[in-house]
Amino acid sequence: MKIEIVVDPARPAPPASLVSRVAPAASAPAASDARGASCCILQRPEWADVVPLEQYENVTPLAPIFYTDEYRDATNYFRGIVKSGEMSPRVLELTENVIRQNPGHYSAWQYRYKTLMALKSPLDDELQLMDELAIKHLKTYQVWHHRRLLVQQTRNPGPELEFIANSLQVDMKNYHTWSYRQWILAYFNDDALWSHELDFVESMLESDVRNNSAWHHRFFVAFQSGVRNGDEDRDAIVRRELAFVKERIAIAPNNASAWNYLRGVLDHAKIPYSELQAFVLPYSLPQLPLGIPPEVVDLENPLPSKDSQLPCVAAVEFMADIHEAAGGGDLVKATELWKSLANEHDTIRKRYWEYRIAESLKTKSGGDG
Amino acid sequence: MSQPRRSPHDSYETETTDHQTETETILLKHLPLSPDLPSPLQKDAHLQFLIRNLIQGFPSRYTSQDASQPWLLYWTLQSFSVMGVALDPDNKQKAIDTIMAWQHPDGGFGGGPGQAAHLLPTYAAVCALAIVGRPGPGGGWDQIDREKMYEFFMSIKLSDGAFLVAHHAEVDVRGTYCLLVTAHLLNMLTPELLEGVPAFIMSCQTYEGGFSSASQPYFSPEPEGPPTLLDSPRPPLGEAHGGYTFCSLASWTMLQPYLALQKPSLQRSSLNFKTLLRWLVQMQGSEIELGGFKGRTNKLVDGCYSWWVGGCFALLSSLGIIGAHGRDDNHESSTTHQEDEAWDDIDDSLWDRAALQRYILCAAQHPAGGLRDKPPKPADSYHTLYCLAGLSSAQHNVFLSSTRQDVIVRSWKTPPESMHERLRQACFSHSLSWTEEEGTSRILGAQNNRMNATHPVFNLTMTHTEGIMAHFYKQTIPSRPKKM
Repeated sequence: MKIEIVVDPARPAPPASLVSRVAPAASAPAASDARGASCCILQRPEWADVVPLEQYENVTPLAPIFYTDEYRDATNYFRGIVKSGEMSPRVLELTENVIRQNPGHYSAWQYRYKTLMALKSPLDDELQLMDELAIKHLKTYQVWHHRRLLVQQTRNPGPELEFIANSLQVDMKNYHTWSYRQWILAYFNDDALWSHELDFVESMLESDVRNNSAWHHRFFVAFQSGVRNGDEDRDAIVRRELAFVKERIAIAPNNASAWNYLRGVLDHAKIPYSELQAFVLPYSLPQLPLGIPPEVVDLENPLPSKDSQLPCVAAVEFMADIHEAAGGGDLVKATELWKSLANEHDTIRKRYWEYRIAESLKTKSGGDG
Repeated sequence: MSQPRRSPHDSYETETTDHQTETETILLKHLPLSPDLPSPLQKDAHLQFLIRNLIQGFPSRYTSQDASQPWLLYWTLQSFSVMGVALDPDNKQKAIDTIMAWQHPDGGFGGGPGQAAHLLPTYAAVCALAIVGRPGPGGGWDQIDREKMYEFFMSIKLSDGAFLVAHHAEVDVRGTYCLLVTAHLLNMLTPELLEGVPAFIMSCQTYEGGFSSASQPYFSPEPEGPPTLLDSPRPPLGEAHGGYTFCSLASWTMLQPYLALQKPSLQRSSLNFKTLLRWLVQMQGSEIELGGFKGRTNKLVDGCYSWWVGGCFALLSSLGIIGAHGRDDNHESSTTHQEDEAWDDIDDSLWDRAALQRYILCAAQHPAGGLRDKPPKPADSYHTLYCLAGLSSAQHNVFLSSTRQDVIVRSWKTPPESMHERLRQACFSHSLSWTEEEGTSRILGAQNNRMNATHPVFNLTMTHTEGIMAHFYKQTIPSRPKKM
C-alpha cells in the first residue's frame, strides 16, 4: 500500500521554500518576557557581524516544524555561532534565549556549558538562573543535568537538597528530581549531606504514603549507598526498616509500593518471608480476625486499619510465597491462594498466577524425583 | 460487561489515589459493551494524522521536539510500517535527504541540522534509514560515516561501562540501548565497545525488579594505574521505570552473543529475572484500567507502556525465562481459530494480551486520528507509534528461533576467525532469528485491527531489519519458509 497524499484544507501546505518562514496564524509567542525574547535578535546591531545559518540548505525537509519567527531566528544565529566557534558573553544571552523557547535543545545547553567554562563565568549566577528554569521545566532532562555539571564545578552541594525538596513539592514523583537528589548524595558522599535524609523521606511519605519514588529513595538511603557513621549495625537497620514499613502498610494496606519495599528489605537481608507470617496473615484474610480486644496491641505486628479493604492482594501473594518456600504439604495452601488471586482478587494477572502454580508443581516433582 | 471493581484505597486518600480515581472515572466511560467487541482500529484516521504531519509539517507546539526531529520521523515511518504502509519513491528520497542533513561531521546524528551528535537521535535516524534508505549514491546507507560514528561512540564511553548520551551530557540506559541497536544494524560491534556494558546494565536493576535510568559508580584509587571500579556500592539512580526497563532488557538481549563468547568465569552473574517478571506483570492495570500498562508502581496507565512494558515479555522468553513461547518444531498448527476458543488454548503468555488490546482500541485512540497516553489527552507521534507497536506485540507471538539461527549461521560467507569476527557473526544471526510462530496471532476484534509484527529488540519490521543488516554485513539472508 502506498500513501496517497491528501491535503487537509484546514492546514494548507505552504510552498516548500517558504515552509520555515510561515508565521503561525493563531499562536502568539507565549513567553515573551523581558529577557530579550521579545524581539528578534536579527534586528539588533550587536549581532550584525554574525552570519545566521538556515537549518536546511539545499534540502526541502520532510515533516518540518512550523517554528515561530522568533525561534527560527534565534536558532539560525545559534547555528552561526556554533559554526564560527565563538564563545563570548553574548553567546550566553543567545543560548538562554534558545533554551527559554525550547528547554529540550540539548545542543544549546552543551554549547552554553562550554562557553561558561571558557569564560570562567560566575557559576552562582548561573545556578540562580537554573533555579528559575528547573521549576518551569521540571520534566526536561537538560535542566537537571546542567545543574549537575555546575555543582560538580562549584562543589557546593549543600543548598541543593533544599532546592530539590522545594521542587518535589511541585511534582512529588518527578523522576529527574529524585535521581538528581540521589546523585548529589552519592557523588559528594558527605556525612553532613546524609544526616537528615531519613527525616526527609519520612516527611515525603507522610504527605503521600503511596509515593513510590520516595520508597525507592528510602531503599537507596538505607541499603544501597554504603554505610555511614552510626549505621554500622546492619541488623538494626533492617529491624528499623521492617518496623517502618509495617506501620505504613497498616495505615493503607493496598499499597504496592510498601509491599515492594518490604520484599526488597527481606531479599536484601536474605531473611525468609516466613519470618513475617504473623504480620502478614491478617492482611490476607477477607476480614479482620474477630475477638482481638482493641487494648491488645502488638507493636511488632500492627493490624490493618479498620477501614482497610481486605483481603489485600499483595498479602495473599506474600502468604503464597511463604507456603511455596515451605514446600511439601504447604504447596496445596499456596495453590489455593494463587487460585483465589487468579479467579477472584487479581484476575488481570490470571495467567501469571497460573504460571506460579505450574512452576511450583514442576519444582515439587523435580524435588520428589 | 459488568462494571469492574475500583482500585481499593482503604479509605485513606492521598494524591496518588486522587489521580487514580479520576483516571478510573474517565476510563469507565471507555469500557466496551462487550469485552470481545472493542472499538475498531481507525486505521485511516491514524494514517491521515501521520500523513498530515509528514507532508504538511508539525504545528508550532512541536517546537519542543526541535531537538528530536529524527524521532518525529522515525515514529511516523515506523507507524506506517506497523500498519503495512510504505512511502512513495519521491517522499522516500525526501526522507533520506532530510535524515542525512542531521549527520554530524564528527560522527553520529544530531536532533536536527547543526545540532550536536547524540545517541538517541542516532538510533532514530539509523532506524528511519533502515525503513526508507537503500545502498548506493543518494540512498543514505552508504553515506553514513561509520568510522566517525564509532569514534563518537568510543569518545562517550565511561569506565563503568555506561555511555554519555552526548558530550557533556547525562548517562542514561536509553543511550546504551540506542548505541547497541545502531552498532548491531550497521555492523560496528567490537569487544572494546561492549566491555563493561553488561555490568552497567546489571547495576541498574532495582529492588522492585524493574530498572532505573542509571547507576552511580564508586572507585577505589590505585597507587599506580587507573582506579578500580567497585562492585558495591553501585546504587541505581531513580526507581524502576518501564522505559528504562525495556532499554535495559533489550540491551541485555543484544549482549547475549557477546556474553556467550566470554570466559565462563565472567558469565556467572545475571539479572534477577524472578523479581523482573513479577514487576512486569504488576505493571498491567486491572480491568477498570482496561488492562493498559503503567510505567512505575502507583502511577497511572499510559498507552506508550504498551510497548515499553508489553514488549518486554517477548524479550524475557527469548532469554529462556518464561514459557516455551516459541515451539520450534514445524508442527502444522491449524491457522484458523474461532475467536472464542482461541485465547486460552494456544496463548501461553503470562500477561493479558487481550486486555492490552482493549485498552489501546478503546482508550488510546483519539477520535480525530492518532493515538495517545489516555483520554482526554491529545494524540502525538510518540504515542501513536508505541501504542501501535504495543498492539502488535499483544497480537503476535514472536520468538527467537534456534532453527532459524542455525540456518543463518550456516549461510555465513567466510568462516569467522578472530574473536571480533565471531562476535559479528553471532550478533548478526541472533538479531535475525526472531520468528513469528505461525497460527498463534490473536487479534482482538476485526481482522482489520491486525498490525504487522515488529522486531522485539529494534522495533523495525523483519523485512527492514534484514534489508539493512544484509547490506552492512555483506551477507545473503536465506529466505524464510514462511513470510513474517
